[in-house]
Amino acid sequence: MRRVTQDLLIGVVFSALSALLLNALFAHTGATPAAETAPRKPATAWPALAESAPKVASYVIEAKFDSERHRIAGSETIHFVNRSSATLNELWFHLYLNAFKNDKTLFLRSPFGAGRSGDKAKEYGYVDVKKLTIVGGDGQDLWANRDRHSPDDPDDETDLRVPLPTPLEPGQTLELSLEFEDQLPELVERTGFVGSFHFVGQWFPKLARLEPSGTFAHFSFHAQSEFYADFGDYDVTLDVPSAFQVGATGSRLSETTAKGRSRLVYHAANVHDFAWTAWDRFEARSERIAGTQVRVLYPPHQEQNAEAELASVRFALPHFNARYGAYPYPTLTLVHPPDVAANAGGMEYPTLITTGGPWYSTFGGGHFIDVVTTHELGHQWFYGLLASNEHAEPFLDEGFNSYAEADALEARYGSGSVFGAFGLSVSSTALNRLFSAARGEDEKITQGAADFATFRSLGALVYSRTATVLSTLARVYGTERFNHALGVYTRKFRFQHPTSSDFMGVMQSELDSRAVTALTMALSERATIDYLVREISNAPISAAAGVFDGPSGREQKKSEAPHQAAQYSSRVVVYRHGTLQLPVEIELGFEDGTKQRRHWDGSGFTFNVDNVGPSELVSVNVDPEQRILLDDDRSNNWLSTQSNDAPQCRERALYAAQLLLGASGP
Amino acid sequence: MNDGNPVARLSTSAAAGMLLWICRTLLGALVSYPILLAIRASSMTSGPDGDSVLFQPGSLLLLELLRIGGPWLGSAAQVALLLLGLSAIFELVPLAMALDLLWLPGRSLIERLRRALRLFPKFIALGVIALLAQAALLLVASLLGAALKPALSSADERLRSIAPIALFGLGLVACAWFGGALDIARAMLVQRAEHEPSERGARAALADALICLRRRPLSVLFGLYPSVAGSAFAYLTAAWLLTRFVPTTSSSVALALGFGAHQLAVLFAIACRVRWLGAALELSAESD
Repeated sequence: MRRVTQDLLIGVVFSALSALLLNALFAHTGATPAAETAPRKPATAWPALAESAPKVASYVIEAKFDSERHRIAGSETIHFVNRSSATLNELWFHLYLNAFKNDKTLFLRSPFGAGRSGDKAKEYGYVDVKKLTIVGGDGQDLWANRDRHSPDDPDDETDLRVPLPTPLEPGQTLELSLEFEDQLPELVERTGFVGSFHFVGQWFPKLARLEPSGTFAHFSFHAQSEFYADFGDYDVTLDVPSAFQVGATGSRLSETTAKGRSRLVYHAANVHDFAWTAWDRFEARSERIAGTQVRVLYPPHQEQNAEAELASVRFALPHFNARYGAYPYPTLTLVHPPDVAANAGGMEYPTLITTGGPWYSTFGGGHFIDVVTTHELGHQWFYGLLASNEHAEPFLDEGFNSYAEADALEARYGSGSVFGAFGLSVSSTALNRLFSAARGEDEKITQGAADFATFRSLGALVYSRTATVLSTLARVYGTERFNHALGVYTRKFRFQHPTSSDFMGVMQSELDSRAVTALTMALSERATIDYLVREISNAPISAAAGVFDGPSGREQKKSEAPHQAAQYSSRVVVYRHGTLQLPVEIELGFEDGTKQRRHWDGSGFTFNVDNVGPSELVSVNVDPEQRILLDDDRSNNWLSTQSNDAPQCRERALYAAQLLLGASGP
Repeated sequence: MNDGNPVARLSTSAAAGMLLWICRTLLGALVSYPILLAIRASSMTSGPDGDSVLFQPGSLLLLELLRIGGPWLGSAAQVALLLLGLSAIFELVPLAMALDLLWLPGRSLIERLRRALRLFPKFIALGVIALLAQAALLLVASLLGAALKPALSSADERLRSIAPIALFGLGLVACAWFGGALDIARAMLVQRAEHEPSERGARAALADALICLRRRPLSVLFGLYPSVAGSAFAYLTAAWLLTRFVPTTSSSVALALGFGAHQLAVLFAIACRVRWLGAALELSAESD
């Protein structure tokens, strides 16, 4: 019995110490945050920040929510201003919810039905417009004259044209009144219900964005696509069961409760969408961060996730404010869906973002919660304030935001921005490169979301490769200089709908034409780059040998032994594969331990590095600081004549094998 | 056994531990060799900074190795896995020698090797039975977890995710317990080889060990506990020391410190195991 007690005590002590060590190992990321967490004052002044958007379409919506049947009965008034240069004879409406009406819609039909999440609809959803009239008009129902389906697609009703009875001249306004009824689907991607959890996005009939030329940027809702809309003000009244907690775009102005139902009045100015969520099990936390009232809605028992999300906002909101111009809205709502509704997670709407992750997300060395929260928060700029066309140019929001996310996470966590524990750190930049390396020639990045072969391809190119292109440019031109250029872009086009041309214009003025050429080629022309070296050659330079006739007669000079040579002529040829040209540093290492740097501007396809010196060239390393993240293959960037016995790998592999033998052996 | 002399007992344990460590190191080098070849074949370590680039913060080039060398590393891992299995079987020989050394010190190494080779088939038979039993225990734990899933569908999210893990953990504890019985059976085989060579086989030894387990369950479970917990402690301490104090550079000092810390951890874990093997011999002797 004494021995049993003794063994038990020893085991308990070892276990307790192991638990402490494990905790310390997960806490120690093995990486240090970047010294500079906020950008320094720029060399040139920022453009003035716009305080509001030119409003084109403003909405007043009254919605009654039936949580049992998952239906919403709504009425909507649209105040529309023709800010284009053309006379309008028609309007285009997006009825995004009809994407989930049946399996033949563009969104759900094969092969793209899987979309982002891989789940099809289990219960279908749709929006029925009951009536559309002009306020102050003759009461004619304009909806009766609508096209019955999306252009060239009889199975889809997400993009409908409505002829106007009288033309709308530039500068004229129009007040439209609609009645509609939504049936929410069981959660498909970001919209719908699971049990009593509801996420209500893209739920109301919405005008397509009116371009300055007078055309509407309308499109059918494709599984790979996101959205595009005009700025306006939203005044939305939600009538919901009182038991439900609600989070929504904008600020809640009032709440009245009667007969088991609550009327919640929201106002959101200068936004281009309105989304909301309702669940009877949400818990909530609020905090004021950088002047913004931040509210987190989260499932029961997920306090740690909520705290991690708030911590992310505490860091990232001031960081993004400094980088891209101050967040202009008074509120920000974070919604953490329950795990059964994980498809609702990881999405952005104006002043409302969804995060996600299981309850144990904060355990271990991974920063999943921080990654998703920082990414979605970044969308408040790259989507929210810079409302680019996500359907036509998805890289402008997702790609730029992936760069912004990596930049913020690395400012916070250093090289362990995605994972850091047990001395191993993995950065966002490294992951972006991993996902996009050698995929540059697959498809061009600047194409529309629906044009990508698969969503995986879109993910690799639009998210990861765009971020890698921008990171490469930042490393080549200097991170501070590039971030300043990006900050000029975000400030100049705040509350606007910038295009890739607008971005290139800023890069031209803030960087140079070579940067614009590189960006254009990498983003639009499937350009790639791969620097490589194949061999190192050294030749001793010795005094000329042979028979020489001189004034003093014939003289015979013998060859010197190679080891007696005083000088060596060394050469290495660096090749550039691919059509992308980027300047690069080349580091030469000599036998005596000295090093030299050479600069190649990237022009031409080969670069001869010649050297005459007292020592043999023994190694070459192209791009030693790993600035060219777009380099397709880094394993051919170096050569060394010295032995390659990988001692650290040998030691760690031996240790790993010993551990495995200990676990699996007798 | 050196029951009455702690110094002799310690030196016997140290000798058994060294024997196991040397074998594990040699076999470890063999198992890791294909992986090492694959890494070197990728050219990722052929630069002027050697393989230290793979351990840089951020893991840019480590991920590049996985991307570029993925196919080679996958094949090498399969070969390494095969070698691992064979090595685990081969390790039964030094284990039998270590048990023999702990039970009766003083014999020559050659004699011990001869006796270990004689016991080798019985050790393999025991290992196969134990492996099947442990696999069955884990299968039962997994099936229970799967069966619980519908019942927990409306339960708290945390309970839903913890329940199958907890069940699997219980399965692992049961496996460890059975592993303890296996060691007692091995000890019995070694002891019986002394008195009644070749008369009673592996099945009889395992049956007797299970009787011992039934009679003294806590002695087996808690006798094994310090060995498992001590190994975990040793490995975690090495990891903690290295991440805290040893920089990830290619310097030979860092390399030597890493090697030293890792091997000390392996030695400590083996020492914990030798302590348990001694206890298993005692339990075996008492039940006989």
